[in-house]
Amino acid sequence: MPTSHRISCITPPYILTRLLDSDNEAIRQAALDTLLATAQLRGEREVRGLIAGALTAPGDGRRSIFDCDHGTFLPFATLVRSEDDGPVTDQSVNRAFDGFGVTRTFYRDEFERNSIDGRGMRLMGFVHRGSNYNNAFWDGQQMVFGDGDGQVFSDFTGSLDVIAHELAHGVTEHTANLEYHHQPGALNESMSDVAGSMVKQWQLQQTADQADWLIGAEVFTPHIEADALRSMKAPGTAFDNKLFGKDPQPDHMDRYVELPDTPKGDHGGVHINSGIPNKAFFLVATGIGGNSWDAPGHIWYESLKASNPNTQFQDFADTTYRKADELYGADSPEQQAVKAAWAEVGIQVTTVPSRRRR
Amino acid sequence: MRVALATHGGQAAAINLRLPPRVLDTERLPPEAARELRGLVAAASAEGAGPAAPAPAGDAMSYTITVDDDAGTTTLTGSDTALPPAFGALLDWLQRHATG
Repeated sequence: MPTSHRISCITPPYILTRLLDSDNEAIRQAALDTLLATAQLRGEREVRGLIAGALTAPGDGRRSIFDCDHGTFLPFATLVRSEDDGPVTDQSVNRAFDGFGVTRTFYRDEFERNSIDGRGMRLMGFVHRGSNYNNAFWDGQQMVFGDGDGQVFSDFTGSLDVIAHELAHGVTEHTANLEYHHQPGALNESMSDVAGSMVKQWQLQQTADQADWLIGAEVFTPHIEADALRSMKAPGTAFDNKLFGKDPQPDHMDRYVELPDTPKGDHGGVHINSGIPNKAFFLVATGIGGNSWDAPGHIWYESLKASNPNTQFQDFADTTYRKADELYGADSPEQQAVKAAWAEVGIQVTTVPSRRRR
Repeated sequence: MRVALATHGGQAAAINLRLPPRVLDTERLPPEAARELRGLVAAASAEGAGPAAPAPAGDAMSYTITVDDDAGTTTLTGSDTALPPAFGALLDWLQRHATG
């Protein structure tokens, strides 16, 4: 007589996927085994997607760029450049390849991070996605770029900060895994803008004072009056034209934009309210001075790793204040700059500073 | 038949919030294009809802296609990370033909 067994997974998938990033190999393997069994038993697309990075053999972030040839079904795309290949004639391919390379080296040299997951996850990029596609995105496993419609937008591989922004979504997913709605979602977006801007500044060897702090300055066609998609230095000023109006990003909590948690509402305005933490990072970087990827970048990166899926703006501000103490000392210029920056965007840090560590 | 495409989210989310839907009316299309559009709408409507959309991903866009005809109003939705085939074909056609 046949029997049936109901298999329940006591540990929720989101915890198991977090364990895939554990430093302990035995824990990683146990989590992967459990998730694999879950995926096999249930055939869950989402679970398989979540563990895709762990299933991919570590490769020190080896790059593969695929040409979608204007299709949207990624498995049909053609591999056109791999890690050991030289440049090809298609400049979109080369820009994605080079952008991944710069971002990978930036994370390795400045933050000792080996690719997206910290363990050499392969970097997969898809270019020429869809028809007149005005976007670039991270789908949980790979980065995808459109050519733009040629009217308003051009090729999204044209901006190094956009490429780094997408890769940084992967880093966030493998660290804090900030939920993509309301304040955690706006922090998620801001983490990507911060990384995108730092990578561009690092590539150009610009100090915080020299940088333009623009995201996506190259994605508009020449006849569109717009500086960029977003300005971290002055949120709300990236564009102001008759075609699509004025940049709605706020630069202070007093102007936080309440939007519904729906696709139409940008999941609570994740690309809108990111202006607030973006401005805070700009203020920290210029307040401390020098390179954004030095003390400011390290404070933000350590705070990202210490955050969780539901971290709010206030939580993150408090964490940056605590990390500034841990890294540079209580009442250090770095910690004072962090406190002043958050205050300027309307957030008073509430963490009581601990005694200076030696 | 009147077909409207609204685009949400993505890297240009702040701009998409401000832009009106792009609209096509089969009455104003060449007969061949109108026939093609009607066929794509029928296929996407028959396809029904695809698999439940995964949690929103970084910068993935979402789409709402609203169809008004004699039978009433039909709303179809999809996202970059969850595109049922017939919906994807209709979206691709609209993105190539609806310019403003």
